[in-house]
Amino acid sequence: MLSFQQPAFYQSSKCFVTHGVMGHVDPKQPPSKGKPWTTFAGQDFVYSADLILPEEVFKAVQAKLLEDEAIPEYKRVVMSLHDILSGDFFSNYIKAGSILMLSEGRRGIDNVFALRNGYLTMFLDKESYERAGLVGKPHGVKGNRGLKSRWFVEIDLNSSSMIKGKKGYDRLIYASKNAFSEPMTWLFCNVVSTVPDPDPLAAFSPTTCTSNPSITRDIGALVPSLTPPTGTAEHTARDELEDFSSEVYEWLSLVRLQSPRILANDQIDPYLSLYRVPEGSKPARVCKISWRGFLSPSWTRQAMIDLITALPSKTWFSFSTTIFTKGLAGDNTECTFLRPPNSSGEYLMWEVKSHE
Amino acid sequence: MIVPTKKDHQSIAADLLNRAFDPEEATKILTEKVIQRPLFLCPTSPPPADARRARQLAAKRAKEQRRTKSLKPKPLSATQRKKQGLYKIPKEGQKYKLFEPLHNLWLGYIREILGNEVYTGGEAAAAKLASADFHGAGVEVVRSGCVSRVGIKGIVVKDGKFAFEIVTTKNKVKVVPKEGTIFRIEVPVPMITKTTETSEDKESEREEKKESKMVFELHGDQFQFRSADRATRKFRAHFSKTL
Repeated sequence: MLSFQQPAFYQSSKCFVTHGVMGHVDPKQPPSKGKPWTTFAGQDFVYSADLILPEEVFKAVQAKLLEDEAIPEYKRVVMSLHDILSGDFFSNYIKAGSILMLSEGRRGIDNVFALRNGYLTMFLDKESYERAGLVGKPHGVKGNRGLKSRWFVEIDLNSSSMIKGKKGYDRLIYASKNAFSEPMTWLFCNVVSTVPDPDPLAAFSPTTCTSNPSITRDIGALVPSLTPPTGTAEHTARDELEDFSSEVYEWLSLVRLQSPRILANDQIDPYLSLYRVPEGSKPARVCKISWRGFLSPSWTRQAMIDLITALPSKTWFSFSTTIFTKGLAGDNTECTFLRPPNSSGEYLMWEVKSHE
Repeated sequence: MIVPTKKDHQSIAADLLNRAFDPEEATKILTEKVIQRPLFLCPTSPPPADARRARQLAAKRAKEQRRTKSLKPKPLSATQRKKQGLYKIPKEGQKYKLFEPLHNLWLGYIREILGNEVYTGGEAAAAKLASADFHGAGVEVVRSGCVSRVGIKGIVVKDGKFAFEIVTTKNKVKVVPKEGTIFRIEVPVPMITKTTETSEDKESEREEKKESKMVFELHGDQFQFRSADRATRKFRAHFSKTL
């Protein structure tokens, strides 16, 4: 039987560089407007966060970031969609609280469910969508009239029409009983620190996982000059910024990967690796802290605020967050932030966006 | 008064001819063309010689036929049928509980035609069900290309060629097209299981009646025929583009 193949099209990830100035950060009023903050808030489910610092300021950060309260934790639980949408869980966590949940699976192959800011998004294949009976939009490759094979449905669970007895909610419950009745594995993260008293989640026996930071100290690396070029002629300014930002981003990524190429004592045969640290690099000691797990964007924002307030303003640091992959190809979507040394409020930000 | 005598009497025709022609020719024409003129009893019996006459005759015959045909009553058009409202269920009749006895009748009918295949299912049951009549069946729309149809549940009131008319428990008649839709039908079947119980005095067999259901799904795409036509139809498996 001739099966009509879905046309596959791949678009490589794009990197957007922003060079700007941040306003003053007041820890009592967490900033939410403006470029670095909106980018971090726009990420949906953060998978990993990395921090690169000079070794000298590690102690300043140690107390703040590595204390028990700041360590994020998440839970892994097996529930069905019906359990989430009904009972105590729905009224305590979804209507009255703020949580993040992500189900197991890859978008484009399996049925994936994501819950964020009260919006339930379901990425479904054709059969599940037709059996569910919920209105959605086509998802994936455009074109192929009539043969749309993947759909996504987005529902606002916080709206006033999502109560038992209303039509929209009843249709959702019908779909959860008939089309999505099997239990799935979910990652659960409570964004606010208050937990409702008889915890509805305890009935499903979740496994709690903490994302303890893994610290690599005292890396003897060659650190390039991290100050963006200024005061150049207009027609070359753009090219200079491009060169500088790509070199620094490459260096930062190698530090994150813990590659030996950036070490001061690295001697590799040029046949095996052509990488050279940018010119003007001096040996210095850096350390890297990384968190892995199911993190929320509000945690990353709080971590950024803590860093900016705890560190002396002359030092540089780099903080980057990566989110869970969305597409089939497993491309990366991440945001890397660098505060150059001896600058107040100046920053450089790289946003890598993968195609869907 | 002068009375014309027989001798002197000449017919008008002869008189006129004598004026135009000389006497010999006049008498010749008189005998041949007037006195001995043949009178046809059936004027058109030898067919008309020229084409014009033939066309005139054909047009006259066609007109006669059309007149007789227009007197026959013609079948109604779709708009006229709808206007008559023969198949419309009146407001008082759109009640679910009115159709429940029909539903029970249908369940009995299905159990009868399936016989033992209610318990086993399979190809034979499918063939029998395909040619069965579905008026009065309890259906639920399970999967559809049009997502608003999913979840409609009720008793079939009319099984048309392209759509089912279903009356729901909320006393509404819904027209559900068959295209791109899958219907689920459940037939409750009493299952009798025998359990043996040994006691000190005697062995007794107790019959337990359990209610179980035979569930089957109907692909509306392949089912777009009137129920009268389905009885003699041989269903072949077709690959569905939408599944």
